[in-house]
Amino acid sequence: MKIDVKHTAELSRITLTPEELEKFTPQMETILESVSVLKDVNTDGVQPMKAHVKFNELREDVPQESLTQEEVLRNAKHKESGFVKVYGKVFGAIEES
Amino acid sequence: MEYDTIIGLEIHVQTKTKSKMFCTCPTGYFQKEPNSHVCPVCMALPGALPVPNKRAIELCMLMGLATNCTIANEIYFDRKHYFYPDLPKGYQISQYKNPICSNGSVTLPNGFEVKIERIHQEEDVAKSTHHSSTSETDYSLIDYNKSGVPLIEIVTKPCLRTAKDAKDFATQIRQIARYLNISDADMEKGQMRCEPNISIQEKGRWEEKDGMILPLGDYKLNPKVEVKNIGSITAVEKAIEFEVARLTKDLEEGKPLIQQTRGWNANKNVTEFQRSKETADDYRYMPEPDIPVIGVSNEDIERVKSELIELPHEKITRYMNDWDISQYAAEVISASRKDASYFENLQALLSEKLEHKIAAQEAANWLMGTVFALEGDKEIDMNDLSLLIMKFKEGKITKGKAEEMLKDCISNNKDISDELDMFEKSASDNAGNIQDIVKQVLDNNPKAVADYKGGKEATMGFLVGQVMQKTKGASNPNDVKNILIELLK
Ligand SMILES: [Zn+2]
Repeated sequence: MKIDVKHTAELSRITLTPEELEKFTPQMETILESVSVLKDVNTDGVQPMKAHVKFNELREDVPQESLTQEEVLRNAKHKESGFVKVYGKVFGAIEES
Repeated sequence: MEYDTIIGLEIHVQTKTKSKMFCTCPTGYFQKEPNSHVCPVCMALPGALPVPNKRAIELCMLMGLATNCTIANEIYFDRKHYFYPDLPKGYQISQYKNPICSNGSVTLPNGFEVKIERIHQEEDVAKSTHHSSTSETDYSLIDYNKSGVPLIEIVTKPCLRTAKDAKDFATQIRQIARYLNISDADMEKGQMRCEPNISIQEKGRWEEKDGMILPLGDYKLNPKVEVKNIGSITAVEKAIEFEVARLTKDLEEGKPLIQQTRGWNANKNVTEFQRSKETADDYRYMPEPDIPVIGVSNEDIERVKSELIELPHEKITRYMNDWDISQYAAEVISASRKDASYFENLQALLSEKLEHKIAAQEAANWLMGTVFALEGDKEIDMNDLSLLIMKFKEGKITKGKAEEMLKDCISNNKDISDELDMFEKSASDNAGNIQDIVKQVLDNNPKAVADYKGGKEATMGFLVGQVMQKTKGASNPNDVKNILIELLK
């Protein structure tokens, strides 16, 4: 099974060297190969399994306390005046919603 | 060469809930401390699970019902993947193949019907601000308060043909959102965002089929441009007009067009290149496994429908047809839910004494001419206003005097009915010497008297006005008129 590792890496914003590409491509293809046995299972007439919930059972719109700013930023590697700080030029190529 | 303009609109609207889309964090993030409305869910900490907000979905349905959409009986959420610091999960929970609302339409004031392809539910992302620095690498500061705020996306078919229609459509969506309390839809605050996609195609060489633009024969379609960063409704129209002119010029100069995203620069009134789109977006959509399929019964939809009140365009038609209100007045009055309800209540109040059309017309006249001009922070008491209008209709007070009294009462906190009593008392006190004043006016205006006697009845209005001026409005114009007629016989 073929996989475009370069494209996948770009989508994940991971930079791969040509050597790494060479190395990872067959590895990922092997992974896909092993998973693809699922394709051989005959699912004709089998209903897809979906968990259901009724609309009325959904969460009511009641706000609750959030974490404190200190707690929120505790795991952030870089921070500045209450914000999480992110370095690098990761912006531009991928669309904001 | 003649070209057709083809426009589709994507409008994002933040809906007005108290808690976020998939967690219980409060939504009101405006001017709050950064990262103070954040929990493990909206920060995507491992193991956190999204729990959909019922009210948010109701508001999405309500927007769909107001725009004649079909509402789905099963709601599915999907993951839309992309990597960006404002999206901590690495995906946005959105809807891919099965939006909550589909196949709707909105009719513009000029009668043009805008087809809506879908309205789906998703979540907003964090706010990031980008900074360049000479001493360190470029960086961004992220505030996750906005991350997870409910967002709906309204997508039209590429059916719009003019910038004006696109602007009118955005205006109507904003009006519906505000009327139904779905959103405050303030574009400057980012509560509503419009992103038009625009292309121009040679006339007669393309067709629209099921919301797709297809080439005819060997024609090759021109690529489309998406415009972002539009911060106001007027900018929607301006940005599209700018793009159409730019695309036409490029085509005529033989420049190759490329599919691209551009940003509107409101200071320079131009669009600026942001990035080209050589490859199709690849979001790797997959069903959101953490949220079950939500079953929506017809009763659920009916319940949401009960929130659907009469919308502005329906009010305009009713005001014009039932009450002979001018289109202009109907549009102005119905533009806000507050004004429309004031108008309708005033009409009802006046209808107790006046015929219903006259009541409506008086209400409209006073609203457009006086109330809108006077009303500041304080709402004019409707009972007081109707009292004044009735005195005016009975000819006991002139409109000018009534407006003056209204203004005085509002700015000086006086009671209208007290003022009216005082006014009427002084009017009757004046009645004794009014004969003298009338005589004086007749003596001073021999030409007007001659004109009147010569058959120019319109002169009467002038004479009444002269008397009213001398009594400083403190007399009844009908009485004055009768006295004048008597004396001019
Ligand atoms: Zn949260």
